[in-house]
Amino acid sequence: MDKGPVHDIEFTLNGETRSDRIAARQLLVHFLRDDLGLRGPKIGCDTGHCGACTVRYDGGTIKSCMMLAVQADGAEITTVESMSSDGDMNDLQESFRQHHGLQCGYCTSGMLMSSQFLLERKPKPTEQEIRAGIQGNLCRCTGYVNIVKAIKAASGQEVSR
Amino acid sequence: MTAPAQTEIKTPTWTGQSLPRKEDERLLKAQGAFVDDEGIYRMGYAHFVRSPYAHAEIVSVDVSKAEALGGVIATLTGDEVKAMTEPLFQFAPKPEGQIEEYLLGVDRVRYQGEAVVVLLAETREIARDAADLVEVEYKPLPVVIDGVDAADSDSPLLHEGLGNNIAWEGLFDWGDIDWAMENADHVVKIDSLHFHRYSSTPIECNAMLINWDPGTDIIRVVSNNQFPLFGALVIAPSMGVGVDQFDFRSQDIGGGFGIKINSYTQIGVLSLLSRKAGRPVKWTEYRTEHHLSGGHGNERTFRNIEIPVMADGTILGFKMDVFDNAGAYLHYEPLGAVIWSQVAPGAYRFKNIQVDYKETVTNKCPAVPNRGYSRMQHLWAIERMVDTVAHELDFDPVELRKLNYVQPEDYPYTTPNGCVYDSGNLPAALDAVLDLIDHDAVRKAQKAAEGTGKRIGLGIGTTLDSGTNNFGQARILNPELPFSGNGEACTAKLDLYGEIMLTLGTIPQGQGHETSASQVAADILGVSPEEVRVWTGFDKGHSAYIGFSGTYASQFAVTGINAIIGACEKLAAEITEVAAFALGASEEEIELAEGMARVRGDAEREIPYIGIANMVYANNAVLPYELATKVSLTCRHVYVVPFDLPDTEKKYGNLTLTYSTQTHAAVVEIDDETGKVKLLDYAVVDDCGTRLNPMLVEGQVHGATAHGIGAALRETFEYDEDGQLLNNNFLFYHPPTAVDVPHIKTGSIESPSPFSGTGAKGMGEGGGAPLHAICAAIQDALDPEMPIVNDSHNPPERVFGLLGYDGGADGRGVTVESRG
Amino acid sequence: MLLASVDYYRPGTLAEATNALGGSEDARALAGGQSLVSLLKLRATQVDLLVDISRLEELRSVTENEDGSVTIGSCVTYDELEHHDQLGSTHPSIGKVAGGTVDQQIRNRGTIGGNLCHNDPINNFPVLAVALDATMHAVSTTAQRDIPATGFFTAAFSNALEPEELLTGITFPALEEGFRVGWSEIEIGEAASRAVAVVRTENGSIAEARMTLGCLPVPTLRPDTAAQLASVGSSESEIAEAVAAVADGIDFFPDDADASSDYRRAMAPVVAKRAVLDALGDNDG
Repeated sequence: MDKGPVHDIEFTLNGETRSDRIAARQLLVHFLRDDLGLRGPKIGCDTGHCGACTVRYDGGTIKSCMMLAVQADGAEITTVESMSSDGDMNDLQESFRQHHGLQCGYCTSGMLMSSQFLLERKPKPTEQEIRAGIQGNLCRCTGYVNIVKAIKAASGQEVSR
Repeated sequence: MTAPAQTEIKTPTWTGQSLPRKEDERLLKAQGAFVDDEGIYRMGYAHFVRSPYAHAEIVSVDVSKAEALGGVIATLTGDEVKAMTEPLFQFAPKPEGQIEEYLLGVDRVRYQGEAVVVLLAETREIARDAADLVEVEYKPLPVVIDGVDAADSDSPLLHEGLGNNIAWEGLFDWGDIDWAMENADHVVKIDSLHFHRYSSTPIECNAMLINWDPGTDIIRVVSNNQFPLFGALVIAPSMGVGVDQFDFRSQDIGGGFGIKINSYTQIGVLSLLSRKAGRPVKWTEYRTEHHLSGGHGNERTFRNIEIPVMADGTILGFKMDVFDNAGAYLHYEPLGAVIWSQVAPGAYRFKNIQVDYKETVTNKCPAVPNRGYSRMQHLWAIERMVDTVAHELDFDPVELRKLNYVQPEDYPYTTPNGCVYDSGNLPAALDAVLDLIDHDAVRKAQKAAEGTGKRIGLGIGTTLDSGTNNFGQARILNPELPFSGNGEACTAKLDLYGEIMLTLGTIPQGQGHETSASQVAADILGVSPEEVRVWTGFDKGHSAYIGFSGTYASQFAVTGINAIIGACEKLAAEITEVAAFALGASEEEIELAEGMARVRGDAEREIPYIGIANMVYANNAVLPYELATKVSLTCRHVYVVPFDLPDTEKKYGNLTLTYSTQTHAAVVEIDDETGKVKLLDYAVVDDCGTRLNPMLVEGQVHGATAHGIGAALRETFEYDEDGQLLNNNFLFYHPPTAVDVPHIKTGSIESPSPFSGTGAKGMGEGGGAPLHAICAAIQDALDPEMPIVNDSHNPPERVFGLLGYDGGADGRGVTVESRG
Repeated sequence: MLLASVDYYRPGTLAEATNALGGSEDARALAGGQSLVSLLKLRATQVDLLVDISRLEELRSVTENEDGSVTIGSCVTYDELEHHDQLGSTHPSIGKVAGGTVDQQIRNRGTIGGNLCHNDPINNFPVLAVALDATMHAVSTTAQRDIPATGFFTAAFSNALEPEELLTGITFPALEEGFRVGWSEIEIGEAASRAVAVVRTENGSIAEARMTLGCLPVPTLRPDTAAQLASVGSSESEIAEAVAAVADGIDFFPDDADASSDYRRAMAPVVAKRAVLDALGDNDG
C-alpha cells in the first residue's frame, strides 16, 4: 500500500455498497482493476483520449482514468460486468456479437458503456448520433462500421447487410 | 516451381459461413484475459528510464538514490546488461562491421526514448517515483533524422561498426530499364515521393509478466507479443539461454498489427531483471513510451523516379532511388529491404524495374513491421506513378490502370523478379468499386462544385496484400541467413472423453482464429463448430509450433488453416481406422457426422467419439496391438509451404504464395480556404480468394481501411530537428474516432488461389490502399498546374500549400520528356 | 500516468473550499478533472492538495437574472449546459458550444469553470466568454470580486485568479436586441483556429459587430475588424474584405505538431469570415 495520504470511502459498485481505504493519488481505473479485480475498464493511453476505461458514474459515463478513486465516495459506479451479471449477455452485447462489432475486444467494454448511455438517451439514434455517441471511444480494429451497425440493431432499427 | 494444389474447397458446410465468433462472449463480458488482467504472486512492477535525447553519450548512470527509496526491489543498467549478454543478432551485417545493440542503452543512446535503466518496485507508483531518482548524465551529440541525409558520409555517425549510416544497400535490376528508357515515347520524371512514418497504435500497449524461476531455470513469459518465437531467436543467443527455457504464453491481445513483434528487447531485459531480483516482473507500457519506443512503420523516400511510357499508355516500368529510414536500430529490418519486392511491379505488367535501395539508420525510433509492411510503401509509390502518368499525359486514370493491369487471363502471372501472382480480376474489381461510389454521379458533382470554394475529387487505389512469404527472401539480403520457406503447425486431438481440441501455433490479436479454426475442423470431423474447443492464444508448452509460428504477414488463412486441415484430416483418419475396427467395417465405409463414426447407410452401426477415445486412451487391450500403438488421437501437422530457395544473385524467386487484391475508391471534398479534406464516400472491393468467414474478412477490410484513412489525413510521427518526437501520445497523435471514419462500402470478388488448397488467401493488412486512393483523389481535385501530391500524409496545411502553389512548372515535382 | 504524491479534500461548503485553498500554497481546486487530472498524470504540474468542488451545490446552478443575463455556476458540466432548456432559448450559443466539445464522457464531467480556468488555447469557453463580454465571479476567504472576461485570461494555461481564489460562476449578459452569435473553427486533431462573431444587422447590412479570435494564449478582441464589419453588406465577399486584416498586430500564433503558426495566421481571416456568416445564417443566435 502506498505510503501517502489515504482516505476511507463508501460507494455503490454494480449495485452493491462497499467501504474501502484508498490512497489519495490512486486513479479510479487502477483501483477498479488492481484492487477490485475488475477487467472491464482498461487502460489504453495516458491522456484520456482512448475511452477504454469508460464506466458509468452517477448515471453518466466517465473515463475512469481521469478521476481519482477517492472521488468515488458517495457515488454509484457501474462497470460493464453489470451487463451480464446473471451470466448471460444482454441484448446490446448480443447485438455486438451478431454484427461482429468487436475484434480484439480491448475497446469493447468502454464501447458498451458508451453505447448503453447513448441508447438510454436516444432510443432510436441515427447513424450520425451513434458516431457522435461513441466519439470518445477509440477502436483500431473495426473501423467502427460494425460497431455502428451493432448499436443501431440493438436499438431495434433495421440494418442493411 | 510451385505445383498448384487442388482448388476445390475441401470443407463445404461450416466453412464459408459468416458465423458469429466464439471469442466474443468472453470479450463482451469482460472475461477476456489480457496481460494486465493477470498476476503472479509476489510480482513487482517495472519501469523504464528513458533517454530524453535523440543522440548522446551516456556519461554516467547512478541508481543509488532510486535503490534507496523504500519499496524499490532491484535496478538494471546498460553496463550490467553488457557484462552479462552478447549483442543482439543482426540479420544482414555489412562486411565492414555491424550494429552493436544490447537490451539496454550502452555507452550511447541513439533515439529519444531509448531505455537506459529498468527498475523494479513493489507498486506501480513507487516504480514511477523511483524513476525520477535515477541520475543519468548525458553528453548530447549531433542528430540526423532525415533518411536521405543520413546516407551522406558526413552525417553524424550512429554506429561505429557500420562505418556510415547505411545499414544495407543493394541494386535490384530486372528486365532492361535502359532499353525501356530509350524506346519510350514519354518519360515521366518525378523528383521525390515520401511515405511517412506512422503506426497502427493498438489500443493495448505492450505488456508482459515474466518470471525467471531459479529452480527450474524456466523463463515464463506471459506477454502480448505476436511473434515471440522470432523474438526468442534474437534474444536467446544474446542472453546465453536456450529457446527451450522460454515458456511463452498469451491469451487475449488488444491489437497487434505487426507492432507487437517488436517487444522482444523488453522480454529479454525484463527476464534479466526478474533473475536479478528473484521476483516476477510485471510491465505495462505507457502510451507515451509506446509512441517513443514501441516501433514505427517504415518511412521511405523515393527519388529520381523515371517512368518510361508508350504513346498508347503502356507503362514499361520504372527506375528510382529508395531510402528507407529504419530508425536507430534494426529490429526485424533490414528484411523490409527485400519484402517490398514481393510486389515489385504492383498490380501491373511492368517488365523493366530498377531500384537502387538504401536502408539508413537515423536518430528516430526503430521501424518495425506495421500493417502493410514494406509492400504498402512500394505500392503507394507505384500508384502515385500511375496516377501521375495519367494526369501528366492526359490519360483517364481508370483506363490507364486497366490497360496496364495484370489481366485475368494472365494468372498465374510471373513478375519480372520471379514472384507468382496466383489469381485475381483487377478490371472487374475496379468496375465494381466505381459502381459502389457511383462514378458518374461523382463526376457530375465534381463539375457542379467548381467555383464554389469546395472541390471534389475521385481517386482510385489498387493494392495487393501479398501473404505467406518465403523467408528465403532474407537470403537476398544476406546469403548466410539460415532461413527459408514458411509453414504453421496445429495439433488436433480427442481428449479423454472424446472432446475435440485444437492448439494452434498462431497468436491472434482479434482476427477470430478460434472461430475460423472451428469452422474448418467441424467440417472435417463431422461436428458443429461449438463442439470444437480451440485452445485460446498461444502456449509454448502446449501449442504446436515451428519457427514461423505467430500471427503476422497475412498468412493465417493459408498457413494456419492448412495446418488445421492437415491435423484434422490426420485425426479423422485415425478415428476412422479405430471405428472401422470397432464396427467391423472397412475404412471406406466409415463416415464422420454428428459426432459419430458410423457405417454409411447403416444407422445401427455407429460409435461416438467418446467410445473411440476410450479404446485408445483407457481401454487399449480391446484393440489389436498394432492398431493401439499406431494411433494416438493426438495429431500434429505442420503445413509446409512449397517454396524453393530464391536466386540471391539475380534477386529472383517466388517470394509469396498468395496475393489478395484490394481496390479502393475515395471521394473527397477539399475546402479551398483551409485545405481540409473530407471524405464524402468510400468503397472497397476485396478479393482474398475463397472466404472462410465472410463477416470476419469484411471486418478486416474495415479495420485496414480505417488505418489507412487515419494515416492519410490525421496520423503521423514527426520529429523536430533535435530528434524530439512531436506526436508522443494521443495529445498530438490523432487516431480517427467514429466521427472521422465514413461508412465504408464493401464488395467482394472471390478468385480462388490455385496454390493454397482451400482457395483462400491471406488478407488483413490491406496494403495501405486508402493512402493510394486519397492521394489520387486529392490530385484529381487539384488544378492541373498545381503540384503533384507527393507525400502519403496530407493534413490541411499540406493541401493548403498545394492549393496555394504559385511557382513555376519546375516546382510541381514532375517533368515530362516527350520524344517524337 | 501515475500521480505524484497528492492529498484530497472534499469540502461540504463553499467556505470550507476557500479556506482549504487559502490555507496552502499548492492547493488547487478540482472540478471535473478533465484537464487537471490529465496534467497531474503527465506530471506537468505539482499540486499538494486537491480540493474537490465538483459537488458543491453553490457552484452548480444556472440562474436567469432579472436583467436577462444568466449566471452559470462554475461547476456546471458541458452536458448540463447542452441540455439546459432555459439557456437554450436565452443564450443558445452556450449550449451549442458545450455540446460541440468532444466527447460525451468528457462532457459528462468537464465543467465550464474548469475549461475557463485551464485556458488551454484549444479550450472553447475562453473565447466565448470574451466574445460575449462575460464577467467571472471569484471568491476567497476574505473577499469576492468580479473580473471581466477580457481581463481574466492572462497567458496560455494562466488566469487572473489569485492562488486562494475560487471561480464560483460566470455571468453572461443578455444578448442585446438584434444581435446574433456566430462560431467557426478549424479542427486538426484539436482546434487549430477559432473565431466568434457577435453581429447585429439592419436592412440587410451589418450595423454593429464584435469579433474575437480564439486558439490563442489569450482570446483576443479585434475592434478594428469589428469596425470594418459595421456597415458592410452581408455578402461573403464584402465580409471577407472586412476581416482580411483580422490577424494584424497579433504577434504570436501557436506552432505545434498539428499546425504551424503561419497556417494559423492564414486561417484567422477564414474563421472570422465564417463566424460572421454563421451569425447571419439560419441559426438561432
